[in-house]
Amino acid sequence: MATQSEFDRELRAHWPRLRRFAFALSRNAADADDLVQSAAERAMRSAAQWQAGTRFDSWMFRITRNLWIDTVRARGRHAARFVAEEQGASVGFDPRPGTEAAIDLSRAMAALERLPEEQREVVALILIDGLGYRETAEALDLPIGTVSSRLVRGRKALLTLLGETGND
Amino acid sequence: MTEEDEFFAWLDGELAPADAVRVEARVAGDSALAAEAEAHREMTAGLRAAFAPVMTRRSEVVDFAARRVARARRIPAGLPQWAAIAATLVVGLGLGTMVGGRGGSDAPVTIEGGQMVAAAALDQALDRQLASNDQSGEPLRIGLTFRNRQGNLCRSFSGDSASGLACREGEQWRIEGLYGSSGAASGDYRMAAGGDPRLAALVDGVIAGEPLDAAGEVAAQRRGWR
Repeated sequence: MATQSEFDRELRAHWPRLRRFAFALSRNAADADDLVQSAAERAMRSAAQWQAGTRFDSWMFRITRNLWIDTVRARGRHAARFVAEEQGASVGFDPRPGTEAAIDLSRAMAALERLPEEQREVVALILIDGLGYRETAEALDLPIGTVSSRLVRGRKALLTLLGETGND
Repeated sequence: MTEEDEFFAWLDGELAPADAVRVEARVAGDSALAAEAEAHREMTAGLRAAFAPVMTRRSEVVDFAARRVARARRIPAGLPQWAAIAATLVVGLGLGTMVGGRGGSDAPVTIEGGQMVAAAALDQALDRQLASNDQSGEPLRIGLTFRNRQGNLCRSFSGDSASGLACREGEQWRIEGLYGSSGAASGDYRMAAGGDPRLAALVDGVIAGEPLDAAGEVAAQRRGWR
């Protein structure tokens, strides 16, 4: 079992990546910070489950993702109208498509918003974080072939949503 | 694996060397495929760049180890508000001493002439710490340094379970606001995220111009925070 200082060091080291993952999942700054902080808290409570020397990042990604799924489910049950508001807000957001080659954060989040949850999480881990297929499969408890096919669908949809920059 | 899956696995560097060479050759001989590879590479780079700004430690939990101590030593109920706040800060500093103005020589906040002023470890942190340095090992972190509308320097700080703002007055740091977190555990995290809304509102209310940058902070320290 890891000591607390090892655990703290790992959590600090991976914090920026976890925050980015939380942003990609939730597409909302307030939700992302709540999510990553709740994940840190849950990880602390179950620190005994993490073995020093094994991949801390995959373990934290798993905790973060599972918490997010819980959040989405809870919202789906109790607050369907929030979803409608969220979608309404994102529909109105369209910052000059095609006039800027660079993707800014709000444009990236708006595009991710349109992906199904199952594609968004693999895009976030593999394309945005750079995690390997195998590590992603382990973090998400999925077969590697499923990860690979969800990633293909997600990235193709994103390329369409963000506009092909190489098509002129 | 379909041919398409293989193409993307190649793009992501996930193929074994022999397979990678084979796909590489296929892409090289097919301009449409080469263009697709390029478009996807650009999109991935663009996505990563877009998310780079959130790769910050700003919302990092302040000090995990100290937080555990703080949790284990919750402030008893029934104290006056200011004492509870100050006590929270003491626990946050890891000093374990109650503040009260009576012989508490290491209390981080004392009352002088009806005003709360920084003392001991808090006073030292405000004098010595620079936000531009790595503060991850410190019990107390300095956030923003800026001038208020009277032209005095102010510095925000956050400990494990309290945050606040102090402004220079003469040779002292007067406490302009001190916000303890005595709520649920999730509240701690929200506050430690540098985002106590009360502190943010206080800063917005007193700041004149922009916060100092790293060089400005060093220069202000050299001038004795004048």
